[in-house]
Amino acid sequence: MASSLTRNCSRFSKAISVRFMSNLPENTVYGGPKPQNPNQRVTLTHLRQKHRKGEPITVVTAYDYPSAVHLDTAGIDVCLVGDSASMVVHGHDTTLPISLDEMLVHCRAVARGAKRPLLVGDLPFGTYESSSSQAVDTAVRVLKEGGMDAIKLEGGSASRITAAKAIVEAGIAVIGHVGLTPQAISVLGGFRPQGRNIASAVKVVETAMALQEAGCFSVVLECVPPPVAAAATSALKIPTIGIGAGPFCSGQVLVYHDLLGMMQHPHHAKVTPKFCKQYANVGEVINKALMEYKEEVSKKVFPGPSHSPYKITASELDGFLTELQKLGFDKAASAAASAAENMEPSE
Amino acid sequence: MAASLVRSCSRASKAITTVRFMSNVPENTVYGGPKSQNPNQRVTLTQLRQKHRKGEPITMVTAYDYPSAVHIDTAGIDVCLVGDSAAMVVHGYDTTLPISLEEMLVHCRAVARGAKRPLLVGDLPFGTYESSTNQAVDTAVRVLKEGGMDAIKLEGGSASRITAAKSIVEAGIAVMGHVGLTPQAISVLGGFRPQGKNITSAVKVVETAMALQEAGCFSVVLECVPPPVAAAATSALNIPTIGIGAGPFCSGQVLVYHDLLGMMQHPHHAKVTPKFCKQYAQVGEVINKALLEYKEEVSKHLFPGPSHSPYKIASSDLDGFLSELQKLGLDKAASAAAASAEKMEPSDSSSSQ
Repeated sequence: MASSLTRNCSRFSKAISVRFMSNLPENTVYGGPKPQNPNQRVTLTHLRQKHRKGEPITVVTAYDYPSAVHLDTAGIDVCLVGDSASMVVHGHDTTLPISLDEMLVHCRAVARGAKRPLLVGDLPFGTYESSSSQAVDTAVRVLKEGGMDAIKLEGGSASRITAAKAIVEAGIAVIGHVGLTPQAISVLGGFRPQGRNIASAVKVVETAMALQEAGCFSVVLECVPPPVAAAATSALKIPTIGIGAGPFCSGQVLVYHDLLGMMQHPHHAKVTPKFCKQYANVGEVINKALMEYKEEVSKKVFPGPSHSPYKITASELDGFLTELQKLGFDKAASAAASAAENMEPSE
Repeated sequence: MAASLVRSCSRASKAITTVRFMSNVPENTVYGGPKSQNPNQRVTLTQLRQKHRKGEPITMVTAYDYPSAVHIDTAGIDVCLVGDSAAMVVHGYDTTLPISLEEMLVHCRAVARGAKRPLLVGDLPFGTYESSTNQAVDTAVRVLKEGGMDAIKLEGGSASRITAAKSIVEAGIAVMGHVGLTPQAISVLGGFRPQGKNITSAVKVVETAMALQEAGCFSVVLECVPPPVAAAATSALNIPTIGIGAGPFCSGQVLVYHDLLGMMQHPHHAKVTPKFCKQYAQVGEVINKALLEYKEEVSKHLFPGPSHSPYKIASSDLDGFLSELQKLGLDKAASAAAASAEKMEPSDSSSSQ
C-alpha cells in the first residue's frame, strides 16, 4: 500500500512536468518548454530606470515567431510589432493596406516568441482616427487578442491627443509617434523628413509634449533633424525613441529587415532608408544558401545518406517487393530493390 | 496647335513608361518595385513536365511572406510552396493544425507579391477540405482567387480525399498530392512519425500516390518514407514526386525555408530541426550577431553616427527654432538643440559608420 502510494506520488509529480497532448513528445514541441518565471518581462519601470540613468533604450520591430525569438535572445528591450509589416512582410508600397486582423495575427505570433522584451503593437491606419471610442476599442483588441503590453499610435493632432488620453485612461500604455508619421504620407506628400523649418520643428516639440501630457510613456521621433530631436528629448521627462533622428534621443528603433539587410535585390537596396545601418547582409546569406540547395538538388547531391535517415528492415522490404510484383508493378519493385542497394553503405 | 499636340504626345508616352498612379509615393520609395512587363516568365506545369521527362530534379522551397518569396524567385527555385508549416515556423505553434484559411490566404498574397517566376502552390490547411468535396473545392477556389496561387496541395490518400482531389482538378485547379507522413494527421499517426516502414504501409504509399495521379494530380509529395519506398512510388508514377525526408530517388526535393537556412539557433529549436534537412546557412547566428552589435552600438551611443543622421535643418531655420523654444519657456531644450547642432557640424568628415 505504502509503496503504491509512493509510486502514485512520483507519477503525479512527473505528470505535472508532462505535456497534455499525448501524441506529441516533448522534443517535437516547436514552441519549447514554458519557463516558470513570470517576472522576466521588461516593464515601463525598467525603461524609466534606463532613461533616468541615461542608458539608451533599444527597440527593434518583429512580425513573427522567429524574429521575436531573435530579439528576445539578443536582449533587445522593446519589441515593436510595427505596421511596417505592411511593407516588409506583405510587400505593399506603404503602411496603409494592413488591417487590424492581420496586425493581430502578427502580434500573437510575436507574443509566442518574445517572453522578455516589452511588447508594443502599432495601431494600423484606419483603426483609431475616426473617434476616441474607436481608438480605445482597437487598443483593447491589441492587448486582449494580440497579447501586447502597450500600443503605439501616430500623430499629434488634437483628436489624436484626445484618443491617446482615452486609451491611457482605459489602462493601456501608449507610445506616441511624431515627426514623419508614415500613415499620413497622403498629407505629407510622401515619406519626407519633418521638422526642417521653424514651424514644423516647433510642432514636433509641442506635439511630443502634448502626448506626454496625455499620459504617453514614450514618444517615437521619426526622420527629424538631430537638433530638433535633441530639443524634444530635453523638453520631455519621458524617453524619446529615435529613427532617422540622430543620436540625441533616449533610445533607438530600427526595422528588423532593414537592420539585417534582408533584401539584397538591387531595387530593395535603393529603398533601404539612409538612416539605417545594415548590421548584416542576411539577404546575401539567404541567396547563397538557396543557390547551393538548388545546385545540390539539381546535381542529385542532396539528399545524401546522412539526410535520408528513414529505414525499412530487410524483411519488410522483401515483403514490399513481393506485394509490388503481385500488383504488377515490376519496374517499381526493381527501382525499390536498387534503391535499397544504393543506400546500403548507410554510414 | 501642332506644338502643343507634340507636347501632349510626348507627355503621354512619358506617362506610359513611368507609370505610378499614387502621386504621393515617388517611385524610389516603392517597396514593391517596378512591375515587369513579361507575363511569360512564370514556371508552369509544362516546364515541370519537361524537367521530369529529362530527369532534371525539380526544386521546391516553402515561403510565407514577401521577402522569402523574393529570395526564392531570385535564387531560381522552380516551385514556391506556401505551406501550412507556417503554423509552426511563422506562428510558433507546435503543429500545423491551428492555422486558419484566412491566415493562409494572407501568406499566399504576400508571397504572390514577391515571387513572379516560381510556380506558386498553396497548402489547404487542416479543417478546410476534409468534411466534403464541396468544402474542398470552395477552399481551393479561394486559394487561387483570393490567394493568388497557381495550384494547391492537399494531404492524404483516403477515398474521400482522392474524390476531393478529383473534384478540385475538375474545377480547373491543379493539385499536388501529399502522402507518407502527413502532418495534419498526427492525431491518428501518433506524432510526426515516418511512414512506409512496414509492408502494408509501404504498399499504401505507392497505391495512394497512384490513386492521386489517377485523380488528376500533377505531382505528389512524399514525406518521411524510406528511400526504397520513395523509389518504388517514383517509378510507378508518370507524374513527378517531390521528396522531403524521402531519400534521393524522387523527381524533386522540397525543404522548409527556415530549416534549410538554419533560421532558429536557440538550442531548443536546434533539437526540433528535422534530421533529413540540411542547413545550408546559419542565418539565426548571423541575425543574433547583428542584433547584439546593434544593441551594443546603441547602448554605447555609437549608433546613429553622422552618416546615419542625414536630415538637416538650415541654420536660419535653426535660429528661428531656438527663438521659438525660448519664447515658449523651453530654455533647456533650446540649449540642447544648439549644442547638438554644433556636435553634428563636421557633418560627414571623418569616421564612417
